[in-house]
Amino acid sequence: MRGDLRKTNTRSGRGDRWNAIGFLFPSLLLVILFFFLPVIITFFLSATNMSSSTGFRNWQWVGLANYTKILNSPRALSRLWLTLQYVALTLVFFNVGMGLLLAILTTRIPARMGTLFRVVWLLPRVTPIVVYVMMWIFLAADAPYGVINQLLLEPLGVAPRYWIAAHPLLAIVLVNGYIGASFGMIIFTSAIQSIPPDLFWAAVVDGASWWKQIRYVVLPLLRWPLLFVTVYQTLSLLMSFEQILILTDGAYNTEVWALWAYHRALNNYWGHFQWGFGAALAAILVLIGIMLSALYLRFFRLNTLIQRPQIESP
Amino acid sequence: MREAPTGELQRMSISAVNDPASLSWGDYKKKFVMAAEAGMGPDIILSGHEDIAIWAQAGYIVPLADSVDQLIAHHPEFEAVLDRLWTACTWRGKVWAVPQDVECRPLYFSKTKLRELGWSDEEIDELPDRIKSGEFTLDDMLATAEEAVRRGIVAPGHGYWHRPLIGGDFLQFYVAYGGKLYDPETDKLVITKWALIRWYEFQRRCVTTGVTPVDLLGTAWRIWHDTVAHNRVLFWNGGSWHYADWAENYLSDAGGAKFLKEHVGYALIPSGIRGKPGGTLSHPVVYMITSTNASGKTHQRLSLRLLAQMTTAALNDRHALESTHLGILKSQSYRLPAPSHPSFQILEQRRDFLLDISYMLRWNYFLPNHALYPLYFDILWENMVMVQTGKTTPEEAARAAIGELRAELGEELIVE
Repeated sequence: MRGDLRKTNTRSGRGDRWNAIGFLFPSLLLVILFFFLPVIITFFLSATNMSSSTGFRNWQWVGLANYTKILNSPRALSRLWLTLQYVALTLVFFNVGMGLLLAILTTRIPARMGTLFRVVWLLPRVTPIVVYVMMWIFLAADAPYGVINQLLLEPLGVAPRYWIAAHPLLAIVLVNGYIGASFGMIIFTSAIQSIPPDLFWAAVVDGASWWKQIRYVVLPLLRWPLLFVTVYQTLSLLMSFEQILILTDGAYNTEVWALWAYHRALNNYWGHFQWGFGAALAAILVLIGIMLSALYLRFFRLNTLIQRPQIESP
Repeated sequence: MREAPTGELQRMSISAVNDPASLSWGDYKKKFVMAAEAGMGPDIILSGHEDIAIWAQAGYIVPLADSVDQLIAHHPEFEAVLDRLWTACTWRGKVWAVPQDVECRPLYFSKTKLRELGWSDEEIDELPDRIKSGEFTLDDMLATAEEAVRRGIVAPGHGYWHRPLIGGDFLQFYVAYGGKLYDPETDKLVITKWALIRWYEFQRRCVTTGVTPVDLLGTAWRIWHDTVAHNRVLFWNGGSWHYADWAENYLSDAGGAKFLKEHVGYALIPSGIRGKPGGTLSHPVVYMITSTNASGKTHQRLSLRLLAQMTTAALNDRHALESTHLGILKSQSYRLPAPSHPSFQILEQRRDFLLDISYMLRWNYFLPNHALYPLYFDILWENMVMVQTGKTTPEEAARAAIGELRAELGEELIVE
């Protein structure tokens, strides 16, 4: 009898596995085609000297020469440091920090007002990126063009400057952050709104202040969305450069790593593309992304977040 | 371009493709490289002459002749082209391209601001000649600009403006201090250490003397053009093609070309060394003929004949006047269309300007035709920016640049 049961279970287990594979296959194929394959191609390219001078036919294997060049480049360390600063500041103060703050504040005020504020914060995201960045450029431009200089600072007697050039790191953080904050805001808002209200009522009955409700009710229940937004936005920021490209094109020491890779491999002033070298730069970024993701998963203790629900355990 | 069934040149169908979607040289060249790799490139590609070495190595373009003499022997039409322009079309001894146009990058100056400084009309008129002879140097320019700022004739930071964004123009100052770019004998790029330091010192001095804003690099072109065109700066560098742009697009409210004529003068870029003549960088845009691999066709012979037929005074005059670039022919006269032409007045003003600056081509030089030039330039540029923004000293930046050049270019570099 026991033997028969085992047989049935094995058969059913096999069926489940095939079912699972069948259901997963379409998305698995997409992930392999559009995620794994490009990474493999990137590593493959990074071991070649492929460039505009070699074309796609006359290239040669160069092993780790591109990586050695990057290691020996005096620019590499400063660009890596700039990238980490840019990612950390944008993430902490805007993509997670401001997103969380906005979510908490807009869910604590009347619903209609909260929705209105969130819509306003979505504007930078829905505005075409070129228009959005050009607005920043002309806000911060030197006198007599810039609005900040002309309308805000001149009456206070502050000497006019081109403020993006004066504070380039701040500028790229602000320009990216005002777009990025809305992503976290939406995720956190929906997470807060899905917290059962009886938890808040219980906290109020226990005499918890507003801050304590946030600290002991909201934040512990936001661990999963916090992990998701932090990981997703870290990787996004590491790879993103479009706003910086339009804002400064890397001037004033704002050439973050991803922009460096883009300039070397795909678009530069002279139109001389170094696909091999650019791929090596991109490969390093992939490795950094994987390392940071692993660190986050460990820090947020992912295993505890994805435990099977006890009620469905056998 | 399609060959007629007869196989002769009597009938040709030519499609000239303008590519307005490519907003930058980078976009444009990327498009060509991808098309060439797919064997779907055009028969003739127009681009900067610095692409010759790169595209020749990749096999995208073919040599037109083993020498200029051979080219002219087969196509006498090319005899009319200015001799010095063939330098920009030659790589490793062979001719790879035919020039479309040429230009110069003058030092512009405000005549009215100089007058306010106390310069007489004669002194202002003599300035181009003094620069040409090496009597008026970059040091003199900075000193004059500094005085103009000190006396309030121009606003602080408005004594001298260079180009606001990346560009080969900056190498003019390296050359002005005696820097060498390329050695054609060995086909290697050259870096002259002390000229590099002097150039970087010059860039830093522009800022420390208060004649150039520390954050000028990165300023939007529109703002830059509007400022210099409206006579708010004493000295500035620009391209010869900017002159018409200012008149027609920035000064339509102030009198256009008339305003420029009244306020703006132009000269060669002063030398950094007293007694050494001034100069100017030219960047000819050239026609190259693609290989069969790149175009999928065998029209190379016909393409060259077409280029020869196009090298005429009438077509070059028209192109020069419409684009405010200098002509490529020895006898270029910039002949105007009939007075009934709707743009006659504008074209006449452009003609006068082009005739005025034509002499500069006798003192021009070109970027090197070397496959690694873009890397060479990028390293010099990045270090220059570090110096100008005060992140490092000229000596440190020069040392770093040479170190990077050695690492990136290896055997392809001569340090002197």
